[in-house]
Amino acid sequence: MNRRDLLRTVGAATALSLLPRHAHAAWIRVVEGHRPAGGLTPAQLALVATVADMIIPATDTPGATDVGVPAWVNVVVAEYYSDADRTLFLGGLDAIDVQAKNVGGAGFTDLPAVTRESVLLSLDRPDDRQAPAVRGYARLKGLVIHGYFTSERVQKEVLKVEIMPGRFDGAAPMTARGQGAP
Amino acid sequence: VTTPGVQGPRRYDAIVVGSGISGGWAAKELCERGLSTLLLEAGGPIDAADFVEHVQPYEMHFRGWGDRAMLERDYPVQRECYACDEVGHKFFVKDSENPYTSPADAPFRWFRGRQVGGRSIMWGRQVYRWSDLDFEANAKDGHGNDWPIRYADIAPWYTHVERFIGVTGAPEGLAQLPDGSFLPPMAMTVVEEHAREKILAAFGGERVMTIGRAAILTRNHNGRLACHYCGPCERGCVTHSYFNSIGSTLPAARKTGKLTLRPHSVVAEVLYDPKRARARGVRVVDAQTMDVMEFEGRLVFLCASAIETTRLLLNSRSARFPEGLGNSSGTLGRYVMDHHYGSGASGRMPGFTDKRTFGRRPNGIYVARFRNVKTAHPDFLRGYGMQGGSGRAGWGRGSSMPGYGAAFKQALIDDLGDWNLSASGWGETLPHEDNRVTLDGAVKDKWGIPAARIEVRWRENERAMDKDMMTGVAEMLDAAGCTDVHTHASTNPPGHCIHEMGGARMSRTPKDGVLNRWNQAWDVRNLLVTDGACMASSACQNPSITYMALTARAVAHAVNEMKTGAL
Repeated sequence: MNRRDLLRTVGAATALSLLPRHAHAAWIRVVEGHRPAGGLTPAQLALVATVADMIIPATDTPGATDVGVPAWVNVVVAEYYSDADRTLFLGGLDAIDVQAKNVGGAGFTDLPAVTRESVLLSLDRPDDRQAPAVRGYARLKGLVIHGYFTSERVQKEVLKVEIMPGRFDGAAPMTARGQGAP
Repeated sequence: VTTPGVQGPRRYDAIVVGSGISGGWAAKELCERGLSTLLLEAGGPIDAADFVEHVQPYEMHFRGWGDRAMLERDYPVQRECYACDEVGHKFFVKDSENPYTSPADAPFRWFRGRQVGGRSIMWGRQVYRWSDLDFEANAKDGHGNDWPIRYADIAPWYTHVERFIGVTGAPEGLAQLPDGSFLPPMAMTVVEEHAREKILAAFGGERVMTIGRAAILTRNHNGRLACHYCGPCERGCVTHSYFNSIGSTLPAARKTGKLTLRPHSVVAEVLYDPKRARARGVRVVDAQTMDVMEFEGRLVFLCASAIETTRLLLNSRSARFPEGLGNSSGTLGRYVMDHHYGSGASGRMPGFTDKRTFGRRPNGIYVARFRNVKTAHPDFLRGYGMQGGSGRAGWGRGSSMPGYGAAFKQALIDDLGDWNLSASGWGETLPHEDNRVTLDGAVKDKWGIPAARIEVRWRENERAMDKDMMTGVAEMLDAAGCTDVHTHASTNPPGHCIHEMGGARMSRTPKDGVLNRWNQAWDVRNLLVTDGACMASSACQNPSITYMALTARAVAHAVNEMKTGAL
């Protein structure tokens, strides 16, 4: 049974969080067996990009994809994660799509914006923090925030990080904007 | 006389093994007293161009997280040190080339740097004088042997060292943590200032939170520039604003024209002349060519770090010293210590949200030892200091903060989140005879030198003190006005604090230790050990400045003995 078959069998009505432990483990093994130890597929990158820009949209400052966050996530998945962590992460992406299908009958990127919004809200403010889709979203959110705020454009143009501040003040006043660099 | 294939002479007035904090000081002081000095360093040369403190996260492939797979493969031990990161790992040894062993039930972390400058390149820079509370401790409670020196013996040498290296700090007038010759203190944060006052009031002045005392310049000093507050000193400093050998002691030694620095020189053995009962010199393996050569010196200083020096003495065997050079007492390799550290607490400080920090202060706060200072604690002997700091989370809080979208993003850009305040204990470890370093009979390093076997365990006193660190910090955070105070228990094994000490301790008599009160081996008077191996107890203060002071003191005495003909 491949992953797609398993997901079809599990069906839209069955949340992965409700799977018995051994079934969940079997599902993880299936996912693992069908993944090369490489980077994200175009579909996965599209999902990452869509979620990333919902977490950090373009406003008067760049959004997540404007500063290459999906490429950063791909580096982490392909080159940083251990096999176990990669499996967990990719399983999390799949679980987000399963959740999307449960709610809207289509993968996350194919949903209308309003439905995406409700799926993301349910993942961001979950009832069950241990649900695979919730944990997958939390992992992705962490990578998106790190990748965004450590990017060159954001460090230089948004946070205006001073590499050599030249002094230390332990009681500097807060000013109106661009304070986020500790 | 020259050795074929080797630049420079084969004989020197003095040989120093190791170019780190202690070795750099030995070289400087020997050269300045006119002795031709050969400084041997196992690692390669580095200079300011190797420093990476200004590398920004976006210039790193893993944005500061490091190449996990590579670090796990080549640096499985070293990577546990916070400074062994994506760009700073180059200052650490490859574990595969530098093996050591430990019993399965006694893990030990041995963090090491082999390069010119040794671990002075990525050290923590915190410097605290010891006091007579520390030098008298062994004699008073009977653990370990009595130190052959007291504070008065070392105090002028602390001053000598501080004036050269530059130490920032605030005088507090505490007997247990003597003030030094300080450059202006770094600022405390608004939250730390608040906490200091609240804690002083709540504990009747017994607990004093002060700004960390650090070997970092807060104004230009001895030709070096003041700190520019970029943050990660452990990755180096192009302006040499923190003390390390290559920016301070080695240039001073070089200026005399007396220094010969030989990198890539792994010292395998100290050579002993049984007729004169003196060290003759050292046997060196060239780290790159594997050539073996000998150098001779009238004085031999071992400054290779506590465990390397102990290992070198154990590897220096002869008919006279079959159990290691200078080991007629049988104490060589014993009474090895590290600080047990990391248990403490953290909390959230309400308010102060109109204030932030500016600049990245490479320093924190320090709370001077208060246990077993005036009254005896029922659960443990000796005591601990606390180190910590405060700050606001910034964008890093985003991954655990609910929300997404434009408002969420703007909050991470414009606001910094709550202030937090945290601290942990750095505790004294009692000297135990069977906390020891021996040689592993089977394992050798890349250069064929038998590896160290390290067996050090925390004992009951350390465990009891760890518990008190948690409550001790937590009650201070409560008094300071913190909310959400949570304690944390350290799981750090011995070695993790990188304050390894002992192995060739100083003593009052030849039967109790390896070294006399001048750091000379009792058995071999022209052989001196002035790194952490010489320590007879650990106190709770960061130890490096004590090695520096003991080194300068030992050089002065040895050169004096040479000049009067006693050596």
